[in-house]
Amino acid sequence: MREILYVVERDVKMFLNHKILLFMRALWFVAQISLFGLIASRMVVVPNYFEYYAAGITITILYSTAVFIGYDIYEEAEHGIVEYLLSLPISRKKLAIGRSIGGGLRSFIYVAPLMGIVLALIGIRNPINFLLAFVSLFLFAFGVAGMSITIAMGIKSADKFDILMGALDALIVRLSTVMYPKVFMQQANLLYSEIANFNPLTFASELLRWGAGIEQYLTFGPITSVLVIISFFSLFTLIGIIFYERRLEGGGWQ
Amino acid sequence: MAPIIEIKNLTKKFGNLIAVDHLNLSIEEGEIFGLLGPNGAGKTTTLLMLTTVIKPSEGTATIGGYDIRTEPDKARKLIGISFQDPKLLWVDTIMDVLNWHAKVCGLSRLERKTRVEWALKELGLWEARRKKIHSLSGGMRKRVEVAKILIQRPKIAVVDEPTAQIDVVGKHRIWNMIRALRDEGSTIILATNELYEADELSDRVGIMHKGKLLVCDTPEKLKDSIPGGDVVEVRIERDPPSHVIKRLESFDEIVKVSTIGSNSLRIHLNRAEEALPKIMETLFNEKIPVSSVNITQPSLDDVFLHYTGLTIEEAEKLSPVR
Repeated sequence: MREILYVVERDVKMFLNHKILLFMRALWFVAQISLFGLIASRMVVVPNYFEYYAAGITITILYSTAVFIGYDIYEEAEHGIVEYLLSLPISRKKLAIGRSIGGGLRSFIYVAPLMGIVLALIGIRNPINFLLAFVSLFLFAFGVAGMSITIAMGIKSADKFDILMGALDALIVRLSTVMYPKVFMQQANLLYSEIANFNPLTFASELLRWGAGIEQYLTFGPITSVLVIISFFSLFTLIGIIFYERRLEGGGWQ
Repeated sequence: MAPIIEIKNLTKKFGNLIAVDHLNLSIEEGEIFGLLGPNGAGKTTTLLMLTTVIKPSEGTATIGGYDIRTEPDKARKLIGISFQDPKLLWVDTIMDVLNWHAKVCGLSRLERKTRVEWALKELGLWEARRKKIHSLSGGMRKRVEVAKILIQRPKIAVVDEPTAQIDVVGKHRIWNMIRALRDEGSTIILATNELYEADELSDRVGIMHKGKLLVCDTPEKLKDSIPGGDVVEVRIERDPPSHVIKRLESFDEIVKVSTIGSNSLRIHLNRAEEALPKIMETLFNEKIPVSSVNITQPSLDDVFLHYTGLTIEEAEKLSPVR
């Protein structure tokens, strides 16, 4: 157990070492809320759109920082750290579990204060609901980290990973209810809303809104959302661990 | 006593390239075993297989009785490696790297503090301990890499070219630390392409070339294995009669005697230290005055040349893997 904690600790520290990146992400987040959110809320017909958007954008930043573990894996491969990790007196499984936990935990640590800002702006109407949502989002972050590890270990090419994650980010955020309620997606194209029904970001943003008491445009009940998030977390954490454990050896990094 | 490392037919293929070719070797507990060869000889690949970083294509090895194929987790508990190229994240500080390494290797808080501080001071890194890796010179990074194994003190310590990029003073310091590590109970595998380093440190040396182990013995025995490898040059004060040369050539140790000019003999022989008294006695009995004697022993480079037909430098140029 202690060995896993050391791996987690390393991942968290490594993440916090990216000071410029983290500052820029925080700046982006603040700009999205204080500029885009504020202005757009005056343009759109959705009542209290600012609150709706602020909760959604929190999920976006949670997703984009949890994905970062994949980039770290490539940086490690570039510096030969993969060989170093493989040589340590720790089992591959523990190493893989540690990476998965570390990838999720660090993004949550980073996003928690930003989430605090959002909650200070929009308020919490039911603390118990929020606590449940908070725990579920914790699992969501692990699931995203597992997904990022799975993709990184699956393709083993930094360029391909970068392109793929860029495309995935564009689609997964836009084809979810992070920025707009599902009813408007349906009006635009039925397919969009159908895809959003299977998108983990939809369920994560719905949970956060439910936790914060923004229930006007919820399309799923909290239990459904929690179950989907648990399934997402379980599936990708497991696959991420298996992929990391099995594919870390053997080189082939590009 | 069973060897601490037993390598059986260990082979690694990368596509058509056979990096390590059916290697068989035993390493005894407590020895410093030098693995000598040019770049591309297969030394690093062998070490990566022993440390379970890469899997063998064929064959296997046991580390303290644990098979690297079937019990890699247990094998890794006994073995640690200092890599040829430092494996360090550039954004970390030296202290971060060493502290985390010590933690993950299971050192207690007190051991960690003591050993990290000791290694930093001994390797001249103390002042730079808060510096990030990207701001360090190549030599400093190499020292950090070496510090990891000195802090870990595993039962089997693998050091791959530990003094590459290190200055002369630093080299001697690291050699002494490697010896001290052995004296504290570690078995050391030293991979190097520096002949003097292998000669200076190793109890036994294995010479690798093109993925194969050519020969393995103590440095002295390897040097003695070259027929006529020792050279004795004797300056004398008059021409030696032919019967004296014949008499010298009749000694078992002597391979060849040649005259250089009118007052020097060049004698190619084995075990010069044993033959020299007999040579001197013969010349004395023949009343041939000797003005000076010079003994030259072969180096490990000569050994490498003898077994491969190439110097280390030539072998490196011809290597498929650089």
